Amino acid sequence: MNIRWDYLLIPSFVVSFVLLAASQLTFLRGSLSSDLGLGMLSPTIGAGNYEVLFTDEFYLRSLWLTVKVSAIATLCTLLMSFPVAYVIARMRSRWAMVMLAGVVVSSFVTIVIKVYGLIVIFAADGGFNKLMMALGVLDQPYTIIGNVTGVVVGLMQFTMGFGVLLLYSVVRTIPTSLEEAATIHGASRPRVFWRVILPLSLPGVIVGSLMMFNMCMGAFTSASLLGGGRVFTLPVLIQRSVIVETKYGMGATFAAVLLVSVIVINLVSVFLVKRLRAARLVIA
Amino acid sequence: MTRAATVDPGVPLLAGRSRGWQRPSVAAIAKVLWVSWAYIFLLAPMAVVIGSSFDGATVYSGVVFPPQDLTLQWYKQIPATHFRALGLSLMLALSVAFGACLLGIPAALGMVRGKLPGKSLFLAFFRAPMQIPAVVTGVAFLRLYYVVGDATGLFLNATFIGLYLGHLFVATPYVIGTVVSVLQRFNYRLEEAALSMGASPWRTFRRVTLPTIMPGVHAGALYAFMVSFSDVPIAMFLTAPGFVTYPVELFFGIETDFNPSVLASASLVILFSLIALLLVQRVIGLDTVVHSRR
Repeated sequence: MNIRWDYLLIPSFVVSFVLLAASQLTFLRGSLSSDLGLGMLSPTIGAGNYEVLFTDEFYLRSLWLTVKVSAIATLCTLLMSFPVAYVIARMRSRWAMVMLAGVVVSSFVTIVIKVYGLIVIFAADGGFNKLMMALGVLDQPYTIIGNVTGVVVGLMQFTMGFGVLLLYSVVRTIPTSLEEAATIHGASRPRVFWRVILPLSLPGVIVGSLMMFNMCMGAFTSASLLGGGRVFTLPVLIQRSVIVETKYGMGATFAAVLLVSVIVINLVSVFLVKRLRAARLVIA
Repeated sequence: MTRAATVDPGVPLLAGRSRGWQRPSVAAIAKVLWVSWAYIFLLAPMAVVIGSSFDGATVYSGVVFPPQDLTLQWYKQIPATHFRALGLSLMLALSVAFGACLLGIPAALGMVRGKLPGKSLFLAFFRAPMQIPAVVTGVAFLRLYYVVGDATGLFLNATFIGLYLGHLFVATPYVIGTVVSVLQRFNYRLEEAALSMGASPWRTFRRVTLPTIMPGVHAGALYAFMVSFSDVPIAMFLTAPGFVTYPVELFFGIETDFNPSVLASASLVILFSLIALLLVQRVIGLDTVVHSRR
């Protein structure tokens, strides 16, 4: 067809570019202004906010906590979702549809509703604690509300639906015939997993993990509601300083630091993975 | 090697093929247990919300699961603000999904079929909003609306348009991603056939190209809807009291006072999601939707 498809790109590119550039530039500019109180920003530019952030141990620890919690949540989600995705992708019965539906419903429902569920489950006189105490597993009520475990569980609830769907489409791209070939030639199941399934799904798994990690880095719902006001990740600090304290400058500074850390972590992991794969190609 | 006989590496226990009963291996049992645990983890909070919404507790914070005595009282007490917020969320998510398709389909076509150099750069550019943490997007748009408002007197924060642009920004990459991945598998001979039989380029596009990429469009639209409908971090900054989306309304509900009528309305939303899903499955098929994602 003699159509200049290139022209189709123009309107979408312009809209996306304007939204991206305008929003990012204005907030980065805002992060350079100090707060004058009542939501006003000083008209002069200075790195004062950044100085405050990088000299206060509390903020640095908050940044580290955000990265740590997101990484743990991503890893745990990965460990839980990969087998599920694999099983659904390789299933040939009608059950596959039902299992898939469960996952999609879970990603349809907002995390706030799931947080309500977690709060009810881990209430001191809730079903979980009553059952565990009746069985003698616990001698006092156990809760995840108000500590880091709760935040990790909340983040896992947030990303797991997306994670399973992503990994499902990754596994679907691996032809079953490859696994069959390996099995026929005498490879055991673990060997098939390590030498066929894992290497072939690795690129997709890494892309998916980074996506889940980015989702965790940008979420404050779990940390805010399940942290019980004691777990201060950077997104929580951003929300507090903008909504509660109306310190837009400081909030923008937190946001800028968060943005840069996410980009750096993404780039570094992509780079590392490339190095790793190049190294493996040399060995094998 | 008894395993060699089982060529299909699926789950022998769940697949239930009747090749005579074989003793399930330890690995198969472990797999079933692990997958069941994952499903309990994934679905328990929602099940508990639905179950405890029928609990007849007399004190607000005393709702327990399993429910003690069944009642529908919390359903009668769902505040009107919830329904208003739900209406806003639905409207927003539907129009965001539509807008994301309007922006995403031409972008995907232009990228895959155009002859511009640096296609991967364009793809990276269009994927950028997915890399930006959601809170940052929220703060950035809030800041942008203040600056624009100060300059022109047109304040977009806490307006439908303002919220819409924020969600459109994060939802469009999903449509682009799914449509691009469908287009890359596209068989050009179909179009050539239509053209050589005398169809006009526009007719070829409408009758051949568009129907073929439809699964990708559906998948992208579904993701765009989900992103907008469940979002808290962006809507938090772009809404105001009296103008809130459903997730944000619930968020403040937990922070201020825990009223079990929230559980009732949340159960209604879970039910709504299930019905919507059934419709999707009926009309387009869940498998095509999920599979065309990249």
